[in-house]
Amino acid sequence: MPSSSARCLSALPLRRARPLLGTYVEIIVRDAPVPGIARTFARAFAAIEQVHRLMSPRDPSSDVARMNAALIGRPVKIHPWTDEVLAAARHLSEISGGVFDVTCGPGHDAPGWRELNRRPGGRVCRLASVTVDLGGIAKGYAVDRAVAALQEAGVRAATVNAGGDLRSFGDEPHSITIRHPASPGCLIPVGWLTTGAFATSANYLDAPGAGRLRRPDGRRLWTGRSSVSVHAPTAMIADALTKVVAAVGPDRSAPILRRYGATALIVTRSGRITCIDERGEGNHATRAAA
Amino acid sequence: MSRPGFSWTIGAAAAVIASTSGYAAEYLTIEQAQQALLPGVRLTPAPIQLTSSQRAAVAARAGTRVRSPALRAWRSARGDWFLVDEALGKHEFITFAVGIDSRGAVTGVEILTYRETYGGEIRRPAWRAQFTGKTVASPLKLDTDIQNISGATLSCRHVTAGVKRVLETYALVLRSLP
Repeated sequence: MPSSSARCLSALPLRRARPLLGTYVEIIVRDAPVPGIARTFARAFAAIEQVHRLMSPRDPSSDVARMNAALIGRPVKIHPWTDEVLAAARHLSEISGGVFDVTCGPGHDAPGWRELNRRPGGRVCRLASVTVDLGGIAKGYAVDRAVAALQEAGVRAATVNAGGDLRSFGDEPHSITIRHPASPGCLIPVGWLTTGAFATSANYLDAPGAGRLRRPDGRRLWTGRSSVSVHAPTAMIADALTKVVAAVGPDRSAPILRRYGATALIVTRSGRITCIDERGEGNHATRAAA
Repeated sequence: MSRPGFSWTIGAAAAVIASTSGYAAEYLTIEQAQQALLPGVRLTPAPIQLTSSQRAAVAARAGTRVRSPALRAWRSARGDWFLVDEALGKHEFITFAVGIDSRGAVTGVEILTYRETYGGEIRRPAWRAQFTGKTVASPLKLDTDIQNISGATLSCRHVTAGVKRVLETYALVLRSLP
């Protein structure tokens, strides 16, 4: 019987997918030591599951549910991963002037993100009756943790794709496609990814009005039914920045993207494309796709 | 090495070539999934047909229809089970596998194949002009090259419902088999 490692060697890239985080999470390993590859996949998927356990609002034992259930002013001990996400969320709120906000509250007078107080020792408390929702950032973070697990296991090149939030590492550029917002079955190649993350937010699968964007005045805003894609060093930041770009548009988001070393693409349903590239040019419109 | 992490190509293209064919991904064969979910366990096929009352009981508990009475099931001598089932979304067609160990614990869920087709929606004349060589009447060719698709989040609720159906089948029918 041929050894499983010899069989695997000729079968790289290896692809696995599981239903997690409410979507399909796909892991493609392109270059890795083959002995123990099954355990490598298991560890990466386990990291995804861990993020889900910590940040799912529906699981009463998750950090998010516990934060939201705690009395105002009562500190709650959270996992270091949750703390890392909250720290990044706060920075995003500061940089975006509150456009990115992982809280929603009963009133819209004050930005809710200021009511989340991170304490030493991995504790957080709510200073007002706001609800924490990490849905706009947790999926990207899960991708980053899975990537870390793969790298720790010695994988040299791979891609993790959680429902369209993806991150790659390794040497081989590979084509990234997005869905045309007017026809989601149409896949449009947009570029070549070597390292970093790529996230897309769009509502072409949702009812109109869905989304968790926030303007400083509390109103939700979404740029029509366009698709917004962001490339950034990490999937967590790419995921979060798609919401910022969609909320404030290309011109105002250009400096925010630049702070994070990110670039972005907006595709409208009519096929009009706007690129926000590393030169920071907003509204750099190019020809229509269709 | 200062290769950029990402190179946009879309701005430079003369026209965007969008794929009109459906997309398919093959992740694991049944044998590979068996190895992944129940490593080292010797499995033999267990061709089980559900009776109509069993189908009704499973459907009632799971909240979804049981599309076929014929189970695609494998079992080990000591009572591990490996089951393959399908989930249908509006545009997605997925086969998946569930591993259950001899104590009744789920060892995992793996997607075997993923297929999506949106062919019926692509009819607008403006689209046709781009796709020289392809006609509307062309049969859908499923693209099985690895596509790294970044898009709005597809819900896996159909697979989740399918897994629940599989687990109810195990609880109601398989667990008590000798």
